Amino acid sequence: MAKDVLIVGGGPAGLHAARNIADIGGNAILVEQRDVLGGTPDEARYAALTPHLESAQDALDEMRAAVIDRPEIDLRLGSTVLESSGKAGDFKVSVAKNGGEAEQLDVGSVILTTGFQHFDPGRETQMYGYYENPDVITLVDAEKMLSKHEFVRPSNGEKPERVAFIQCVGSRDRRLGNEYCSKVCCGIASKEAIEIRKLLPDTKVYIFYIDMRMYGYWENQLYWPAQEEHNVIYVRGIVTEILKRGDRLLMKGEDTTMGRPMEVEMDVIVLSVGMEPSAGTREMARVFDIEKNKYGFIHTPGEPMDPVSTSVPGVYVAGAAAGPKDIEDSIGMASAAAMKALAMVRSAG
Amino acid sequence: MTLAPNTYTDIPYEEKAKLIEEVMADHRYGEHLYGCYECGICVAACPSARFYDFSPRKIAQAAARQDVELMYEQMNDDVWNCSQCFSCTRCPRGNNPGGIITVLREVAVRNGLASARDALEGYGRVVYKIMSTGTQVSPDMLQPNAFPDWGPHVKAISDNVETWRKALPPETLHTTSTAWNVDEKTIIELYLIWQATGVMDMIGEVDEGLHMILEDVMEDVLDEAGYET
Repeated sequence: MAKDVLIVGGGPAGLHAARNIADIGGNAILVEQRDVLGGTPDEARYAALTPHLESAQDALDEMRAAVIDRPEIDLRLGSTVLESSGKAGDFKVSVAKNGGEAEQLDVGSVILTTGFQHFDPGRETQMYGYYENPDVITLVDAEKMLSKHEFVRPSNGEKPERVAFIQCVGSRDRRLGNEYCSKVCCGIASKEAIEIRKLLPDTKVYIFYIDMRMYGYWENQLYWPAQEEHNVIYVRGIVTEILKRGDRLLMKGEDTTMGRPMEVEMDVIVLSVGMEPSAGTREMARVFDIEKNKYGFIHTPGEPMDPVSTSVPGVYVAGAAAGPKDIEDSIGMASAAAMKALAMVRSAG
Repeated sequence: MTLAPNTYTDIPYEEKAKLIEEVMADHRYGEHLYGCYECGICVAACPSARFYDFSPRKIAQAAARQDVELMYEQMNDDVWNCSQCFSCTRCPRGNNPGGIITVLREVAVRNGLASARDALEGYGRVVYKIMSTGTQVSPDMLQPNAFPDWGPHVKAISDNVETWRKALPPETLHTTSTAWNVDEKTIIELYLIWQATGVMDMIGEVDEGLHMILEDVMEDVLDEAGYET
């Protein structure tokens, strides 16, 4: 019987699952479609991690170092999983180097760590003019600038006087089909707001929200310090429309605190985009013939007691492939999935 | 910077900003304001909010935004609807909206804002009463026109105030022009405290006539008591 655990996706969850399997004496094959490890945090150039603001690249380097040059881990970079057959304990999967010939691998169990993609704010509606106004950006665009320790108006390279974040873009929206909360955007927006205030102390930074969701310790790791130490201004009320006025952006919304409509000019507007299933997650659901939930993420029928088993025995999921997760969730799920996947291989053997 | 419409267009922004800077520079300000998450517990606890268009939550929120236009607007209006009972200090974030109002009011008074003069107009006679008798309200002040908010029974009480008064303990001396007897030394000390702490200056800002009368009256009292004036 097959002894290896196949892990699909080399982001934080995949890296952690591979390391865990090796640490407890198993063997893993880690397939990653990009030529580098690190997943979305690497690809999108995350600057600092929530909530402690330590360097994302340093954290990823540590995770990558733990899987590179280990005899128990067979790294397949620039590769994708094409097809799969068989059943728990005895899967046959074909894996190809991008553009190359497919190779057949025998694996006993599978962990999918194919993650999410950021909501595209211009996908169905141009409400916020993301593709029309260079100064309307996303959390991801902001993160890229912050990773270079700068924050400017993309249209002219100048320092912004006023920056606004708009929460829940692409989340909690029945019209878009994304009814769920993406869970991390409140924390990330607050984190980026703190970083902008540190870089540009004269810049006013606003966060417009429906309700801030900074559960657990994020409350006083991010939310309270953002308000109390960094003077980030939180205003309850969501923006309905962004227009161009002169070389600035005119934002229309409701100031629900004061109970009146609000029209205010901003220099940069950051859309707090949520999570959607990545193309890889959708494709792996097809390859392994597993059930998706109504939003296209991988269904985990055993929740809440088993957040990592899928509808197919022997196939597990960890991280944001199973829905909005923060890195802590992803790491915890990766360990749980590693344990189950290795137990499956051993019981089958 | 503001999110609010400008409701006092005749006042230049710089003038408003200067007042708000004075508010934020107050040494108490930092401990009165942390952050607000709009839970509304302060409004729920606030007696004034039940009777007036007044919200301590809006006060905390405007302050957290450092919104000059909004804070100026509140300084001229909302803050005078607060009864300074500090029920709002049950805030889970540790905010003290009533304390922010104390500071806003003091800055309004120190700078002689018209709203402060209007709001405090009725208190001139209370201040005069304190300085002349040592008690702030006496039974004969209880007139329906002065206290319409005391309800319909105020007329019946004021018509028979001397009779009602006799039913009270003898410490009141059964008078209607004073609440109880206050030693002249106490009045003198109160006046000196008001002088030293700037209360007299504040009275001067909002009611010049009253200030003059008080100084005249107290000059004689101090003279007679042997103080150098």
